[in-house]
Amino acid sequence: MSRWPSSEAANSADRDLLAGLLAVVAGTRPDADAGLISRAYHVAAGVHAGQRRKNGDPYITHPVAVAAILAEAGADDPTLCAALLHDALDSASYSLAELRDAFGATVAELVAGLRAVDGGLGAGMRGSPAGRPAASAAPDTRAWMIKLADRLHNLRTAAALPAATRLSTSRQTLDVLVPVAGTLGLDAIRAELEDLAAGTISRHGTGRAPRYGRLLSAAAALLPRATRSRWRAEWAGELSALPAGRQRAAFAARTLAGIPRLAATLRRARPPGDAPR
Amino acid sequence: MGQVPRMTLQVQLVLGALLADLGAELYGLQLCEATGLASGTIYPIMARLEQLGWVESSWEDPRRHVAEGRPRRRYYRLTGEGAGRAREALARVRRPGSLPRYGLVPWAGSAGVAP
Repeated sequence: MSRWPSSEAANSADRDLLAGLLAVVAGTRPDADAGLISRAYHVAAGVHAGQRRKNGDPYITHPVAVAAILAEAGADDPTLCAALLHDALDSASYSLAELRDAFGATVAELVAGLRAVDGGLGAGMRGSPAGRPAASAAPDTRAWMIKLADRLHNLRTAAALPAATRLSTSRQTLDVLVPVAGTLGLDAIRAELEDLAAGTISRHGTGRAPRYGRLLSAAAALLPRATRSRWRAEWAGELSALPAGRQRAAFAARTLAGIPRLAATLRRARPPGDAPR
Repeated sequence: MGQVPRMTLQVQLVLGALLADLGAELYGLQLCEATGLASGTIYPIMARLEQLGWVESSWEDPRRHVAEGRPRRRYYRLTGEGAGRAREALARVRRPGSLPRYGLVPWAGSAGVAP
């Protein structure tokens, strides 16, 4: 693209990043519009030129990684373009109107939808549901997919962030984003988010629900494999509804007592069509 | 689908709670509260009722729990068939001469179940 001049070295790094992304895209979606994705990449590279991530990496590596995570999950062209451009609006040099003109309404709506998702997450973190976006503004599930990939790459590269930030981000990941990934059927993303976030919490924090959540999560290993994640998530939901540590401890103890019987029940023949969830 | 769970007192309490407000969805802690049973008793019963097709369960809408910044809850409700079969099964065990007579389970009326 001619809009942003870049140096020879940057051009070579550009080629490598873009080629890497297009290779991942070709692996899952041979029908993808490589020209469109390349165009989104070049616009993003221009907007983020000279910017660095907190860990010192060139900023453009982040949107490319997010797009690559989504490409591995088979995401469509508008989602990949929106992923590449998801932080472009943070820069004063690029507007939503420019984005819409260049890439169409769908990509613009996905980027705007991601911002609505972020707004809702921020409101949830502050415990003020009043701040959440109206139901009519409910974002496309593809905006959620971008959020999940964005968080996944941020967690992969979080080593440079302060421990408190990593901890609160990890808690929100376990509480909110891991379940969303499960709901959307993005199992690989869900598993990695859970591993990274749970790993951070077990290294750094004594968390609230996590203590009893981990206990129940470990005990769920007694259940048939296909059923474990459902019960783990269900108990995490119950624990979070209990206000005090003592009540959580009592809930965990009572639930633990029932796990052998639950395991025996779940091992009975399941009726046909009752797929494990 | 023709099977009937063992109608233990606990199963009767759970069915009574679900029938009390048909169409209502309850998550585990609410079932504990409605029946006075411990969570370790509730989950195996729910798993069994689900296997038999009397009960179905689903995760709550992500927009709700995400907006509130907490993990999702799993909600249980009677299926159409389950509601009918639960009523029949409760009516059988609650016939005169069976447990309710001795005050061992709530009377049908108290749980909103048609006699």
